Amino acid sequence: MTDTALRSKPNLDTASRPRTSKREGGRSRSAQLALNVLERTWLIVVVFTVWWAVSAGSSNVFIPSLESILVSLGRDLSNGVIASGATYSLTNLAAGLLIAVAVGIIVGLILGETKRLREIVDPVIHFFRSVPQAALVPLIIGAFGIGQGPKIYTIAFACMWPVLLNTIDGVLGVEPTIRKFSKVYRIPRGLHFRKVVLPAALPQIVAGVRVALPIGITVMVVSELFAANKGLGFYILNSSATFMVPETWAGALLVGVIGYILSLLFVVLERRILSWYFKSGAK
Amino acid sequence: MAIQAPPEEVQVATKPLLQVQGLTMSYGVSDSENKILNDLNLEVNDGEFVSIVGPSGVGKTTLLRCLSGLIQPKSGTVSVGGEVINGPHRDLAVVFQDYSRSLMPWMTTLENVAFPLQGRGVGKKERNEAAEKNLAAVGLAGQGHKYPWEMSGGMQQRVAIARALAYNARVLLMDEPFASVDAQTRFDLEDLVIDLQSTLGVTIILVTHDIDEALYLADKVIVLAEKPATVVDLIETGFGDHRDQVETKADPRFVEARARILHRLRDH
Repeated sequence: MTDTALRSKPNLDTASRPRTSKREGGRSRSAQLALNVLERTWLIVVVFTVWWAVSAGSSNVFIPSLESILVSLGRDLSNGVIASGATYSLTNLAAGLLIAVAVGIIVGLILGETKRLREIVDPVIHFFRSVPQAALVPLIIGAFGIGQGPKIYTIAFACMWPVLLNTIDGVLGVEPTIRKFSKVYRIPRGLHFRKVVLPAALPQIVAGVRVALPIGITVMVVSELFAANKGLGFYILNSSATFMVPETWAGALLVGVIGYILSLLFVVLERRILSWYFKSGAK
Repeated sequence: MAIQAPPEEVQVATKPLLQVQGLTMSYGVSDSENKILNDLNLEVNDGEFVSIVGPSGVGKTTLLRCLSGLIQPKSGTVSVGGEVINGPHRDLAVVFQDYSRSLMPWMTTLENVAFPLQGRGVGKKERNEAAEKNLAAVGLAGQGHKYPWEMSGGMQQRVAIARALAYNARVLLMDEPFASVDAQTRFDLEDLVIDLQSTLGVTIILVTHDIDEALYLADKVIVLAEKPATVVDLIETGFGDHRDQVETKADPRFVEARARILHRLRDH
């Protein structure tokens, strides 16, 4: 009797779980996808159409028609002015984010695991993260110079806080039973960090990076408004200073589009890294 | 005291595998001190199956946490194989009550079972083989690729048991391991544990509030009661290796022992 129960139960389980989910996904996948895309894009289309219509033939210098904005954008995209600026800016963003994520995760894991250290450092963290990051840009650039390095540091500094705080939160949220398990089975410290604490905190960490991304984009632009001769921020500043208003708008619009694309890419990445988390229904 | 007297100890000379001496545990300090365990003494021999039974809140979990080295007792000692422990010990594995929380959802069941071996520095091939073998032992052969959350509660608890077995400790500590599964699954798991114990010869200490379960599984039942908790009774069940959910529980010795434990618990 025990034997049959032993064997029949697993079978029942395999039968019910993965297969149904596959079937659901298979039949209507393409239709579902089309619907999703439509659902996400219709509002943007409406906004742009209205913008186009309302701004057409605008005589206000500071609010040019969408048409003239797009024409400037198209021209500067094709002649490479924007491309070189965007490459510079996005390199800074990538480097800054990378530093922020690395430092945020490592420091967050350490602080999350050591209560005493956390209590000491906590006020400092909350002080620094409350300081408006954009306001620090001139200071950092003033202190460290006008090169690419200070811009990257500024982005890293601003992006680190959400990653750091979320990592600490994630570490504190590790299931107590799993901590007990790790202790009783004498999992060595390094392995405990890499295979227990880090994956357990990862959903929170990823959420922190998601918050950091738009902060990074903002600071990226702001950092190029000071002492820069390259980049998307410089493009915006320069065109504004020379009364090329459509270009200013075009630059801002482009930054928005880049932000949107990056957040889409981030969702794809998130689904990848946290597939167990989404599939397990923990979320 | 009509219960069968312990079969005349033949192995008087052998030292107990696990020994608890004068174990006292309390939380808080001085006047607000809350004493949980008071001068507990236990002996568990190699290959023995011991249940510790007592009402909820009596301090069973505290006792188990002392045994597993998760907390340090106020006074007294726990020793395994003659060695006093002062923290988690290589010869002590624990099966936690909350299977759904003690397994890591980011690892497959195979990885979950193999993980403690990785912590001990066992090579990948070897630890995966050990994991496969122990998953098979608990009736989950070939299921290692699944994630815990793809499994039912009973299956998850089997994985947790396989993980404890793979660790290859001499003593298995089980904390209310079947408290959160349905009755049928519970019987299956009980019989599985009895099978494993007799085939692998591992020593098991199981904590439960269920008197029937304590009696059905164990060679020796330790009854905890009072506040702070002390051992109020010790019963040798003497059912041998073969047990049956229906027959054993109808055995007059079983019925009598149950009545005796109930009386003990009521009197305290």
